[in-house]
Amino acid sequence: MLKVTNLHVSVFGTSILKGVDLEVNAGEVHAIMGPNGSGKSTLSNVIAGRDGYEITEGSIEYMGKDLSELEAEERACEGIFLAFQYPVEIPGVSNMAMLKAAINSMRKHRGEKEMTAGDFLKLIRERADLVEMKHEFLKRSVNEGFSGGEKKRNEILQMAMLEPKLALLDETDSGLDIDALKIVSQGVNALRSPDRAMVLVTHYQRLLDYIIPDHVHVLAGGRIVKSGDKSLALELEEKGYSWLEGGTNAAASLEQVAN
Amino acid sequence: MSAKAMTIVADEADSWVDNYQSISPAGNHLPWLQAQRENALKRFAQLGLPGIRDEQWRYTNLRALKSNAYSVSAPSSLIPSQLEETDQPRLVFVNGHFRSDLSELKELGPKVSLLNLATALTDESSDLADNIANYFGKSLPQETHGFSVLNTAYARDGYVLVLEPGAVCEQVIEICYFNHGESQEANTVSHIRNLIIAKANSQCTIVERHMGDDGSVYLSNAITEIHAHENAHVDHYKLLRESDNAFHIGGVYINQDSSSHVKNHNIALGGLVSRNDIYCNLNGQGAHIEMNGLVLGKNRQHVDNHTEVHHVVPNCTSDEYYKTILDDHSRSVFRGRIIVAEDAQLTNADQQNNNLILSPHAEADSKPQLEIYADDVKCSHGATVGQLDAKSMFYLRSRGIDAESARALLTFAFANEVIDRIKVDAVRTELTQTIAGQLLAGLEDLV
Ligand SMILES: Nc1ncnc2c1ncn2[C@@H]1O[C@H](COP(=O)(O)OP(=O)(O)OP(=O)(O)O)[C@@H](O)[C@H]1O
Ligand SMILES: [Mg+2]
Repeated sequence: MLKVTNLHVSVFGTSILKGVDLEVNAGEVHAIMGPNGSGKSTLSNVIAGRDGYEITEGSIEYMGKDLSELEAEERACEGIFLAFQYPVEIPGVSNMAMLKAAINSMRKHRGEKEMTAGDFLKLIRERADLVEMKHEFLKRSVNEGFSGGEKKRNEILQMAMLEPKLALLDETDSGLDIDALKIVSQGVNALRSPDRAMVLVTHYQRLLDYIIPDHVHVLAGGRIVKSGDKSLALELEEKGYSWLEGGTNAAASLEQVAN
Repeated sequence: MSAKAMTIVADEADSWVDNYQSISPAGNHLPWLQAQRENALKRFAQLGLPGIRDEQWRYTNLRALKSNAYSVSAPSSLIPSQLEETDQPRLVFVNGHFRSDLSELKELGPKVSLLNLATALTDESSDLADNIANYFGKSLPQETHGFSVLNTAYARDGYVLVLEPGAVCEQVIEICYFNHGESQEANTVSHIRNLIIAKANSQCTIVERHMGDDGSVYLSNAITEIHAHENAHVDHYKLLRESDNAFHIGGVYINQDSSSHVKNHNIALGGLVSRNDIYCNLNGQGAHIEMNGLVLGKNRQHVDNHTEVHHVVPNCTSDEYYKTILDDHSRSVFRGRIIVAEDAQLTNADQQNNNLILSPHAEADSKPQLEIYADDVKCSHGATVGQLDAKSMFYLRSRGIDAESARALLTFAFANEVIDRIKVDAVRTELTQTIAGQLLAGLEDLV
């Protein structure tokens, strides 16, 4: 489904990703872990089509297509969804309006008719219930004044509405209390299916107790330095990143000091 | 009369004067009015139309307006296509002429009079005549300009609304002005004069709609005076949807007594060049003025808004909120002057002007002018000029919303903060739909 090959990305001339290889197949759940600033969000953003990143080498293929040709909205219409690490507040645009626009735009892309107002309302209420979000949040401006956890839950609501093929969840678990974590995980698990794939960026192995990944990768220094199964996450929890090739400089130098 | 004599060359003061000499508008039998008109004419001969040498008009591009010739149109029986059925009280004017056949003059209660100025001036009832004589022209500023004196000299119609003490008019009063050019050579000009007299404890809501035939060229010069007495509540809307080739020069002049509340909403969606001067004198303690403005500029439109709030006495509040959205080659000027007199302690004045620029060719000027002579006051102001937020754009696009729709959604959200301040449901809904539709076909179904 997704094939990232030798991906090099820079921002304003600074090289951030330095040869990432990642292959995600339908039905799989991948977790990407790694130190702060190692390029996890950069990778997610580049796949979602955010402006401002320069691909200097390598490629991203999605469903057999070269993604660099597609605008962000086209990627979304083709089934890519990014749950933001920092969801944006958009005063004056309600959750409902945004999701209605999004759903109708995707249907148009697929050559389908617009969803009726009634069907839309039914769907959004049902999906809000799935992530245990109060219906009054639907009328509120997108993320405006939402608490950190509410924003993350709102990302999952959007995912549940848009039913993507490939979901990239960038630290959706950060800032969630235990109950919210369970609810978000339920939402994610409800969407797991043989024709969907998920990439979870996380710092905490805790999330992976709820959403069991097929593969775990460590992104460090702009490259995937280690891949394994879910036991890798447990190992990282115990040992941190410094023992890995290309672990953060900070960690490496701390280690030096310790030695 | 030959066709030539009928034509007014806008840039020649004599041409205006000559043209109107033959016209005797209603009310010339009233000595006070005749005196005002004659004075105004003399003043106009001195002033002419304002130009770039006048400080307050430096940024208002009147070249196109002045290069045209105009004529005063005769009353017509044309039925404007934009006119919709209504069961609300409504007065309709076409090219400056009152049209009783299109108007709905409802019974508004024993203490409320609503009629057109020309009729009011010939009314036998001495009450009404006295009212008009006592208020007409009284809210206009000393410092004046050519358009304003032209209006005083030549205005023959408009509406007069008088609310006697305690009168509460629950119905929303609608005033519609339609303009259309008469022929290629002769663009029409109309001078409209409106007068609202809201006596103590009275309440009313008035919606003025200024509209024109698509593409037609005309000049609409419209003044509304609002006199709000003690504890009166006046909610006044001015919706400008002039033709894309039209000129609108407007003035709203407000005098407020103690504890009165006036809201002025100034929504500019059309016209090639439009300018509004909105002045308010807070003359009695506890008076409150709210001025809301929204400008949607496109193509080569030029939209000016000049506001002045005079805090004359202590304990008054003013709240000004203007937003401008400019696309294509459009331009706007916002000048917001707040004067707090030495005596006006405990004044609370706030002014915000936010401009959203959608095109590299658009330009917005914002000129806050605060003159504060009292020491114990709270005055705040802010002006911003910016573009759509890139993060928000990406967020929406990452949800599958195309760039054009994302832009329209965010632009609407920007406008909506002013629309939300409109408390009359029907007007708010209508504007929501109109503005959304104007930003993007289909957007009205989303918002
Ligand atoms: N627009 C930008 N301008 C400059 N530097 C940037 C920009 N975007 C990312 N970077 C830099 O790229 C590096 C990788 O950032 P990224 O957000 O991808 O890290 P991350 O792995 O997601 O970190 P975290 O775990 O803290 O979320 C960081 O050093 C960051 O400062
Ligand atoms: Mg990150």
